[in-house]
Amino acid sequence: MGYVSSAKKPTTPSGGWSDLWKQEDYWAVWLGLTIIVLTIVFWSQGINFMNWIVLKIPSYSSYNTAISYVSSHKITLLTLYLFFLILFSIAVKALTGEVKRFLVGFTFLFLLSVLVSVWGSWDVMKRYNIETPLLALIVGLIISNLFKIPNWLSTALQTQFYIKLGIVLMGASLPFTLIVKAGTTAFAQATIIALATFLTIYWTGTRVFALDKRFAATLAAGGSICGVSASIAIGGAVKAEKQHVSIAISLVILWSIIMIFILPLAIKALHIPPGPAGAWIGTAEFADAPGMAAAAAINEQAIKTFTLMKVVGRDMFIGIWCFIMAFTSVTRWEKRYVGTKPDALDVWIRFPKFVIGFFVASIIITFLAASPHVVTSKVLDNRIINPIIELRNWAFIFTFLSIGLTSRLKDLASVGWKPFAAFTAGVLVNIPLGYLLAVVIMGNYWITVK
Amino acid sequence: MNPNNETCVQRTRFVFNYYEKREWLPGEKPPLDDITKVKDVQPENLRYFAEFMHTRLNHIAEMMDILLKVHDDWAITGWKDHILMETESFDFNDSLNALKEHGYHDDEFVLKVEYRRKWGVL
Repeated sequence: MGYVSSAKKPTTPSGGWSDLWKQEDYWAVWLGLTIIVLTIVFWSQGINFMNWIVLKIPSYSSYNTAISYVSSHKITLLTLYLFFLILFSIAVKALTGEVKRFLVGFTFLFLLSVLVSVWGSWDVMKRYNIETPLLALIVGLIISNLFKIPNWLSTALQTQFYIKLGIVLMGASLPFTLIVKAGTTAFAQATIIALATFLTIYWTGTRVFALDKRFAATLAAGGSICGVSASIAIGGAVKAEKQHVSIAISLVILWSIIMIFILPLAIKALHIPPGPAGAWIGTAEFADAPGMAAAAAINEQAIKTFTLMKVVGRDMFIGIWCFIMAFTSVTRWEKRYVGTKPDALDVWIRFPKFVIGFFVASIIITFLAASPHVVTSKVLDNRIINPIIELRNWAFIFTFLSIGLTSRLKDLASVGWKPFAAFTAGVLVNIPLGYLLAVVIMGNYWITVK
Repeated sequence: MNPNNETCVQRTRFVFNYYEKREWLPGEKPPLDDITKVKDVQPENLRYFAEFMHTRLNHIAEMMDILLKVHDDWAITGWKDHILMETESFDFNDSLNALKEHGYHDDEFVLKVEYRRKWGVL
């Protein structure tokens, strides 16, 4: 999806090679791979820059400790801020041109991220299981639901861009062989759950609540395939009304935010190990960013299994789902506004391009690990993978804050009870079925994925 | 739902193909069938092609006129085999109604609808 400027602009032609610098998916790939290549180049030249700029706030019990730690790392924080600012500004310049407003907004977002990171490292927060991702979300939600978010800040709240960048960087910490192996299992599991959830929402929507078929399909796609991306893709494929797509998006976001809090609590209450927990979140959460927030509230292994399930098992196949739905729309449903036919090219058009970056990142690191130039896997972990993971974690904090800062719960809840009830029926099938497959049946497998 | 609470942007795309129609009406046939990669092409095949193109291009021009009359924000791109009209600021239902009111139906154009998130939406 491309950036949308807040300023009203005339429609510009779509498609062509310009997508490579006009779509945030591609920019997530370019920036993610730039960070990975820079890390490798610095390491090969014996420069410790990437390890130096990433800052991980240690756990503390006294605020004096936190203040003195941050004070002694002012230059590092400033460098980290400039590092992100320069990279993001290049992307924003190409995407919207609103660099000045982004600069002001991102500065606020970065400062808030530092504050949340410091606060989240307080041992009291950890004692009450309020991990940094949840804290970022809560802080964002409080601000956005109490105050009006100014335009200068809105420009920097690009949830999708930050999460896609984080997922590309995530590829560097997953060996390609693992992605291929676990991805197949993830796909099989995710498809069973997606089908059951899709049919539940669609059937409830059309048969019980007499919703329009296209509306029900758009709702069902959001609740089963991959959240907002699926709703907008299927909504376009079946030519759903704009308002119906908006409602589906609102419901996906509303339930995603609810799930960010419910899933980690349920996982801790049920003592589910991190591997199966991440896999469960991968099928239970409706969107990438909120799912990552829930997984990050567990641990690194949960983040990995979540990514495998959500990105490899679900997101990648959105194009195929669209093709099937477009085909169904013109062959099975009434011929309303036809004049178009399903096009196999749409499978590629709908493909989330940032996933390519995720794969390339994984392949680069997998080759590097097999290269004779890398002395030990410990060197690879300490000098290359760890700084990339820490940078990824910062991208995630920007994501979680952006989710909160852009979610006005009152607006999201004003969707009407019928679509809400149909979507909720899907949730009631998705959650237990996901638990059954990810924890009970495949739990032993997901425990081993690290 | 509050209409101002929209979370997506709709892009309407009208594709006006020169040589192809989704449905060929009685008496019509694909104009290039008797010309391309065909041995022994006859002069009447070319005349039919010329006549078809004359009518087809006029129809396309009229449909463009209609759409430009009901809305002024269109991105129009010309290709070797089609004209593409796109807008993000006019609902596809209104565009369709305008065309249908003037007697143009689904077989004259290909309509594609795409959605994308508004800023900040997950």
